[in-house]
Amino acid sequence: MSASTDVTATAAPAAAAAPATARRRAHAAAGPLAVAPLLIVVAVAFGIPALAMLGGAFTTTDNGPGTAVHYTTGNLTASLQGAYLTALLGSVKLSLTAALISTVAGLLLAQAVVTSRYAVLRHAVLSASGVLANFGGVPLAFAFVATLGNAGVLTQHLGLDKAGWSLYSFWGLVLVYLYFLVPLMVLTVIPSLDGLRAQWREAAQNNGATTWQYWRHVALPVLAPSLLGGFVLLFGSAFAAYATARAMVGASVPLITLQIANALNGNVFAGQGNVGLAMSLDMVVVAGLVMAVYIPLQRRSARWLV
Amino acid sequence: MSSSAAPATTGGTSRRMQGEAATAAQEDRQDRETGATVEFRQVRRAFGAAVALDGLDLDVRPGELLALLGPSGCGKTTALRMLAGFETPESGEVVVDGEDVTSVPANRRDAGMVFQSYSLFPHLSAADNVAFGLRMRKVSARERRARAAELLELVGLPHHGDRYPHQLSGGQQQRIALARALALRPRVLLLDEPLSALDAKVRLALREEIRRLQRELAITTLFVTHDQEEALSMADRVAVMHAGRLEQCAEPGELYARPATAFVAEFVGTMNRIPGRTGDDGGVVEVVGRRLPVDGPGAAPHREVDVLVRPEAVELAVAEKGTKGAEGTARVTGTTFLGAVTRISVRLADGTLVKADMTTHTATAFPAGTAVTVGLPERPVLVDERRA
Amino acid sequence: MARLIPSIPSIPSRRPRFGRGAVLAVSAAYFAVPLLAAVVYTVDDPVKGVTLSAYTGILGAGGFLPALLLSLELAAATIAVVLLILVPAAIAVRLGGSRLRAAVEVVCTLPLVVPPIALAAGLTTVLKWGPEYLARTPFFQTIVALQNPGFPVVLVLAYVVMSLPLAYRALDAGLRTLDVPTLMEAALNNGAGRIRAVTGVILPNLRGALLNAVFLTLALVLGEYTVASILGFQPFTVWIVNGSASAQGPVTIAVSVLSLLLTWALLLVLSASGGRRHTSAPASRNTKGTT
Repeated sequence: MSASTDVTATAAPAAAAAPATARRRAHAAAGPLAVAPLLIVVAVAFGIPALAMLGGAFTTTDNGPGTAVHYTTGNLTASLQGAYLTALLGSVKLSLTAALISTVAGLLLAQAVVTSRYAVLRHAVLSASGVLANFGGVPLAFAFVATLGNAGVLTQHLGLDKAGWSLYSFWGLVLVYLYFLVPLMVLTVIPSLDGLRAQWREAAQNNGATTWQYWRHVALPVLAPSLLGGFVLLFGSAFAAYATARAMVGASVPLITLQIANALNGNVFAGQGNVGLAMSLDMVVVAGLVMAVYIPLQRRSARWLV
Repeated sequence: MSSSAAPATTGGTSRRMQGEAATAAQEDRQDRETGATVEFRQVRRAFGAAVALDGLDLDVRPGELLALLGPSGCGKTTALRMLAGFETPESGEVVVDGEDVTSVPANRRDAGMVFQSYSLFPHLSAADNVAFGLRMRKVSARERRARAAELLELVGLPHHGDRYPHQLSGGQQQRIALARALALRPRVLLLDEPLSALDAKVRLALREEIRRLQRELAITTLFVTHDQEEALSMADRVAVMHAGRLEQCAEPGELYARPATAFVAEFVGTMNRIPGRTGDDGGVVEVVGRRLPVDGPGAAPHREVDVLVRPEAVELAVAEKGTKGAEGTARVTGTTFLGAVTRISVRLADGTLVKADMTTHTATAFPAGTAVTVGLPERPVLVDERRA
Repeated sequence: MARLIPSIPSIPSRRPRFGRGAVLAVSAAYFAVPLLAAVVYTVDDPVKGVTLSAYTGILGAGGFLPALLLSLELAAATIAVVLLILVPAAIAVRLGGSRLRAAVEVVCTLPLVVPPIALAAGLTTVLKWGPEYLARTPFFQTIVALQNPGFPVVLVLAYVVMSLPLAYRALDAGLRTLDVPTLMEAALNNGAGRIRAVTGVILPNLRGALLNAVFLTLALVLGEYTVASILGFQPFTVWIVNGSASAQGPVTIAVSVLSLLLTWALLLVLSASGGRRHTSAPASRNTKGTT
């Protein structure tokens, strides 16, 4: 190779991107037609119930069908008082606790996997996490009942009941929630840990940083959006969970999802259905906040780590 | 720089911090008027079965820019990382200024490093990136700002301190990385293919910039590259590495004109390999019908060898009709226009392809198909074992 | 050059190796014990010793088969609808402008903002309109048909909405690895119509992502409890919970263990096919891209 041929090698790839946008425009005509079915289905199956919920949350019906409908903020006010407020706060507390523990545990587990030399371990943990993160709900609740419930295998063999253990409590629920939240965190944070470049650690060392200083000043700040985003996602997931709590605890821990279900099923006195809708609206507001925090964090993380 | 010496270094840094008035370059230069020496002594390192460094011996002179050049996997990056403290040798030692630093951890090496690419901390502004090391040493915020400003000035980006890495071009990022590497006034500057991820134009500009800075600061610098043009044009001396060993360390001109080994001869620049045969006494080689003296100790008599000749040293003449060179008929098979020079490919009678460079003007006399006679210089570059 | 040499962690990362072992051991115990304990619970009878009667008793328990069938039917219908509406949209987004893309992304993210129980609340409200307002209109028949207990279409609608975020992300991730505009142009240039271009060129290259979307939807529908129970239908999960009140404990747990293993098997197939997709995608892209 001559001394002069090397130089041009890297200049070429830059030009490729430009024609793509022009080409996209050429295909754009078919776009709205292809998207229409999706929009229609979402409008019907999601839009109508959402509006119905919104409307119901702000109206009240006198007893009996066909009578007058009044607009009111009473439902919302009621949904933020008394037992309903307790349930809302209970849900928030449970979700915050479970999400916080899962974030820390998930980060530790993910870091242990990422720094391992065994590719098999990594593959196994990723697969298992994919499975477990999708495995909330009824079977999970019953598996824990069989393990740590009153007649559970561990409860009986280790005499946990005599030590005051109850699965049907706040911390019991936290323990169960970790089962699907930790894997969710592992899935969320592993790509970010992979995105931490070896050069950053080395550049930090090269500038005199100790391992602790590297984590304190580089790794954790860079991971922060991803960790926060993961935390918020876990919070939302725990907050919306119903089946696990319903199948396991009944109503012994106050949770907003359980309250809504009770209100809708008419387990409480008539006219409470609309308070259930108001509580649903409360949940949507909380979930909306979660997304509003999560999406920008996700963007920033993607910018830093990809 | 044993670990016990580290506090002294830290103290020195903050002492130097007080002279903010002087320009960064002058001050830095005064500080290491002499420049540090670096020695690799019999350094060995293997990764599993792959031997990255196989007893490397290398001396770097104070204040020089030494390029480590070689193909992928030759060990040049491992050598650099060993000096930075990211790799530890299995045996041998790394010595800086007469001091064995082999077991000093990376964060106390006092060697600033610029990485291939994307090594800036994405969550910090350019100025904070530059001042990162000062922050690790608990230098006050005011002094950090002042020093960062000096360094940004030094690398030609005085107004980019507030930008974040994703807002900077690749070339600008590498300038910031250079400023960061210099922030702690290291004794040695390490450059690990810092230009390889940049486009050609930026690369040329930054090449000159690095060279200017390095001269101004008179800082001992190791520069790893696989690009021979980069190495030859920038370095005071070039160390060519191959399979974990040093093949030759010499000034660029010397390396090109008098390569010590066949590997260096062929790795640096373009080289022809023409089959020949040593004569009765091994001091002479017969090639394309000529007898050329062999330099040095010579080879065993009557052996099949290759003669290495640069294309610009090959002479061509149009063969006169009817006459036939002793080597049979050689013909031009094609020409490649390289600007002022045109490279002519010639196939010898025995099938060997030979490249000859001549001025583009002269080359017009040799269109493809022309029968030519091939002349070789009195002294070939090297005579090497025959290669299949 | 540095890439070719396996980077062996240098001094700083050697320290946490002990911690890593502890983290892995605790995690493994936490995730394995409930499953093992559940299995032990189902086969260990305090009176009879080890027995499989809990598993044999499942078939005898009332309503097991209809509930399971309902779940599978709902899953099949949901998957069909999700693919039908989502695949054209996801491809159009890759071909179209950024505004179309933003719209589809918002539409596919919205369901995340409305938790299942809130969606269920909205749906019950809508279904109550039937008797209250629509009794004398043709819509009434629609409302009635929606909640036919034999095959509640309303659940399919709800599940489609709930599946959108996951399924869209799976599809979009697959499409991102393809150069859709170029593939389309190559196909059109070779005389294929627009539909043929999609079915003949894009979809075969998207097999992994499609499979991903299918399995995620399947897992969601089979595990869904909230909406079905609020609306008063009885697919598999609801039957398990209701059954626990009536049937004996071990049978309920046994069903849970079985459904768990089923879900696991399905999701493992998913992750395995996902892994294979990563390795095979570039090759298949090249061969298909030139036809």
